Amino acid sequence: MSGWPTFLLERCKLAGSHRLDVARANGAYDVLAKLLKDGTPPAEVIAVVKESGLRGRGGAGFPTGLKWSFMPDPARDSRPRYLAVNADESEPGTCKDRVLMEQDPHGLLEGALIAAYAMRAEAAYVYVRGEYRTSYDRLQAAIDEARAAGLVGERILGSGFSCEIHMHKGAGAYICGEETGLMESLEGKRGHPRPKPPFPAGSGLWGSPTTVNNVESIFNVPFIVAHGAAWYRTMGSEKSPGNFLCGISGHVERPGVYEAPLGISARELLEDFAGGVWKGRALKAWIPGGSSTGLLPASLIDTPMDHDSLRDAGSMFGTGAMIVLDETACVVRASEILARFYDHESCGQCSQCREGTQWLHQIFARIERGQGMADDIDTIESLARGMAPAKTICALSDAAAIPALAVVRHFRAELEAHIEQGRCPLRSAGAVAAREGVPA
Amino acid sequence: MTRIVLNGREVEADPKRPLIDACRAHGQHVPTYCYHPGLTPVGSCRICQVEVVQGEMPARVVVACRTPVVEGMVVDTEAPKAHETRRECLEFLLKNHPLDCPICDKAGECDLQDFSFAEGQGEGRTHEPRRELAKRKSLGDVIVLDQERCILCSRCVRFFEDVTKKPQLAVAERGAQSIISTFADRPLEGNYQGNIADLCPVGALTLKKFRFQARVWNLFKRASTCAECSRGCSTTVEVLRDGEVKRFRPRYNERVNKWWMCDVGRFAYDGANVPDRLAGAVVRGHSGLEHTDVADALDSVRDVLLANRARALVVSPFVTVEEGEALLALAKKIEVEPVFVSPKPNGLEDDLLHTGDPCPNRRGLEQLGFRAKSAEEVLALLGECECAVLVGERVAALIGDGLRELPAAVRLIVLDCTALDVPAVSVCLGLATYVERAGHWVNVDGLRGPLGAARRAPDGVRDTRALLADIERRLSAAEVEA
Amino acid sequence: MAATGETPSEPQLEPTDDQTPPAIELPEALRAELDLLVRKYPDRRAALIPALHRCQEELGGWISPRTMEACAAYFGLEPVDVYGVVSFYPMFRLRPPGEHVVGVCRNLSCDLRGAPEIVAKVCEITGAPAGGTSPDGRFSVELLECQGACASAPMLDLDGIYHENLSEEDVERILGGLA
Repeated sequence: MSGWPTFLLERCKLAGSHRLDVARANGAYDVLAKLLKDGTPPAEVIAVVKESGLRGRGGAGFPTGLKWSFMPDPARDSRPRYLAVNADESEPGTCKDRVLMEQDPHGLLEGALIAAYAMRAEAAYVYVRGEYRTSYDRLQAAIDEARAAGLVGERILGSGFSCEIHMHKGAGAYICGEETGLMESLEGKRGHPRPKPPFPAGSGLWGSPTTVNNVESIFNVPFIVAHGAAWYRTMGSEKSPGNFLCGISGHVERPGVYEAPLGISARELLEDFAGGVWKGRALKAWIPGGSSTGLLPASLIDTPMDHDSLRDAGSMFGTGAMIVLDETACVVRASEILARFYDHESCGQCSQCREGTQWLHQIFARIERGQGMADDIDTIESLARGMAPAKTICALSDAAAIPALAVVRHFRAELEAHIEQGRCPLRSAGAVAAREGVPA
Repeated sequence: MTRIVLNGREVEADPKRPLIDACRAHGQHVPTYCYHPGLTPVGSCRICQVEVVQGEMPARVVVACRTPVVEGMVVDTEAPKAHETRRECLEFLLKNHPLDCPICDKAGECDLQDFSFAEGQGEGRTHEPRRELAKRKSLGDVIVLDQERCILCSRCVRFFEDVTKKPQLAVAERGAQSIISTFADRPLEGNYQGNIADLCPVGALTLKKFRFQARVWNLFKRASTCAECSRGCSTTVEVLRDGEVKRFRPRYNERVNKWWMCDVGRFAYDGANVPDRLAGAVVRGHSGLEHTDVADALDSVRDVLLANRARALVVSPFVTVEEGEALLALAKKIEVEPVFVSPKPNGLEDDLLHTGDPCPNRRGLEQLGFRAKSAEEVLALLGECECAVLVGERVAALIGDGLRELPAAVRLIVLDCTALDVPAVSVCLGLATYVERAGHWVNVDGLRGPLGAARRAPDGVRDTRALLADIERRLSAAEVEA
Repeated sequence: MAATGETPSEPQLEPTDDQTPPAIELPEALRAELDLLVRKYPDRRAALIPALHRCQEELGGWISPRTMEACAAYFGLEPVDVYGVVSFYPMFRLRPPGEHVVGVCRNLSCDLRGAPEIVAKVCEITGAPAGGTSPDGRFSVELLECQGACASAPMLDLDGIYHENLSEEDVERILGGLA
């Protein structure tokens, strides 16, 4: 787009990019090969990823290199070690990992192998959400190709490094994108997140040291190792370096997945990349980084898309997935849809989340269909404060509470109008008609 | 042991156990639902909130059941933030929980009631319809499940996994639709089902046998010991105002049964509610057994014993150690070997508690010098004597129908809870059941278990040892005269 | 996939004696496949969810109680534990579906781009109610949460294949031939 350097999506643009021959002709596995030939100490690989400042792209933004460094010293801990690649991409608005898996699976595999090398993991499990059939098939085919070429399995490229990569399928639970929920699911159980401590690096898959990383985070690794931390930091902002894949969806001219530097203004993403709000309409609200980050009003569209700026604006970077709402959109309906989502996805362990997600959904649903009550807004706020922060085993409770608080903060008047008028004041014909035909 | 500061006092805490255990060990109450010391902690209910300060970190509110004990940790179980989070938790739990208290068996011993009263708010704010689930789901012969009342603490699930080692219940579905369920409506199996009703903090899992039987605040409770096998699990006997035993429940005993008891023992209380109690005494007269004064009956006992030199003494394994000592004295007096009737193994032994030996005081009596004889051996013994004293609760039943066939020349003196009406019986005296008297039994491992009187025996029933003493006194007096 | 309502028959095994009921087992071919699958993991149970996917694909498009028992036997688990797992994950169906399953995402990005109209069109063409199965058993329509097609919304998933950037005409084209 605007002359920003890009690297993440370069190979994806090539025909047949998912195939080994095309991928290799365009650099795939070169970094791994050099690493193995040079015998670079694993600790150095961890160090460069740490210095790069790469932050997890799965939503939490935890520094990746730091997470890697939590793995215990193999000299003192002889348990098997695992990498789990979190390909459970289920955060509403988020569709970027899918692009990488479908179009550059070898890029992901190389990243996983380098990560496994750095952390001395003996195997990587790629946990793909069950609905992503193409991603799963492409990755499995890529593993098979890579194995045949000596790039996966025993003594990779003739070195002393062995690593297996296994594909694993989820079955439709957002909570399995939470790292400990993922591990429970991978072990063949209900995806109930585990309390922390212990942390995965201490006790993860089958009680062994494990690191769970998002697809896009892993995808960045070969580039960082190849070009160094300083190179990585030329992109993005100081506390949020690098490029990210921004999936822009909703009321825009050109929805899509775009590569941009962190710190780019949301306005530039919206207008230059996605063609602006569609149909010549005005912007009403936007969600910066997936549904759990909480919407922001149009007035804040100039906020830089990085972790600190969005946090200061009262939202979060999350997965960097922008959802755009135009002037005809009803934020109460949007809130109901998201509240329904968290109600559906709560695993049910924690009292606040199990009951609170359902309760919030019920309140928003009532308000949306014109049956709101005078105390509903206060109750929403009060419930959301009971559900967060950090009161539960995992952050799904927070993820449900934050959007609810955001809509009350920024669009209280619209909620009040629904309640006072006993109907949606926008009376979006499509929304209402469809509402009547479709059970909640 | 690790040292922590708990509510202002420096105390010792076991670093192998979670913080909640240290709080309880030092009498600082923290509410819990999902946590139970006998089960794997999960930290899901979120109610055991306490405030901790560790090192330089700011104070934070955590769940005590999943918080490791750390040297120097400062713990406040009464911090306002802890109470606030507990209050919020309770509001969430009461959002769907049906207000069934007026018809719920758990009322009066319900942790949701108790903690709501202590920490909750008076009024709920929900306008939403409560979820509708199965309210009377039979889980077999023992348990009925009300899924609406369930707060998904998962103790019942973990009980079968952790304690009986065979999962039978699972959490099914997800989120607010979660339910507790068996597979394909199968009933629960095994001899330990009743424990999940004890574990359930609310009235979701209740005992079919106790359903609507009594309000728990009308039950008088006394510590006791189970009679159904030689494990001698510690129990509580619970008696309703009218004197009927309504419930046996396990009582925590570190060395014997921990928190559990088997269903055979749990539901044996019918055996304590014996109809046709003998309150007083009967003697054989012209038209059969006739009621008489206890004093006159004791005279008859003396007469029978003095008139017959070939004697025997057989006691039931329900007699206590204390009664056994008194019986030894009598045995010596009447010059017989002390014997107890030893029941056959019942085949119910398992890996958990039940020993398969339906004999509450085998070791106690053996230690005193009583000789075990099977029912057949006892009958053979009785057949060869002229008179016998049979003493103890259920002694007649344990010896069995063979008593009916004894030649009329054998004279039986029976001290039991009911009268034994067979031709051989000369005199019967009524005794207290094991829920009506104090004393001790000794279990299979040599551990003493106390009995307690949860109710009075019917009027006219006299204390066993007093009766034995009176018999001895009469015999002694006769010797003097002789 | 099997037609609605019919539980696919599974091989009957000879009882070992009069007292023991016949063991419920997965079909041999499926077991052979699972024997390879479990080798990916240090603990067999980890293969359960991938195994359940295969069972659903091969045994009627749903997970019946018999399938759960057979899986439990294969993995050395209690059936109730398998039931707990199956009922947690929405991709596993506890009822037989129609011959074709049409899933439509109705989360926010799709809703903003016309998912309700797509749902209505799908229901109209298939004759199935949203969330249910058509009377002739040909179609089930499932309402789904975010499927990761946000930037290509609205979408539908037909028997596991995504169709994206849909117009109502597209829906007619995709489903019309099958209906």
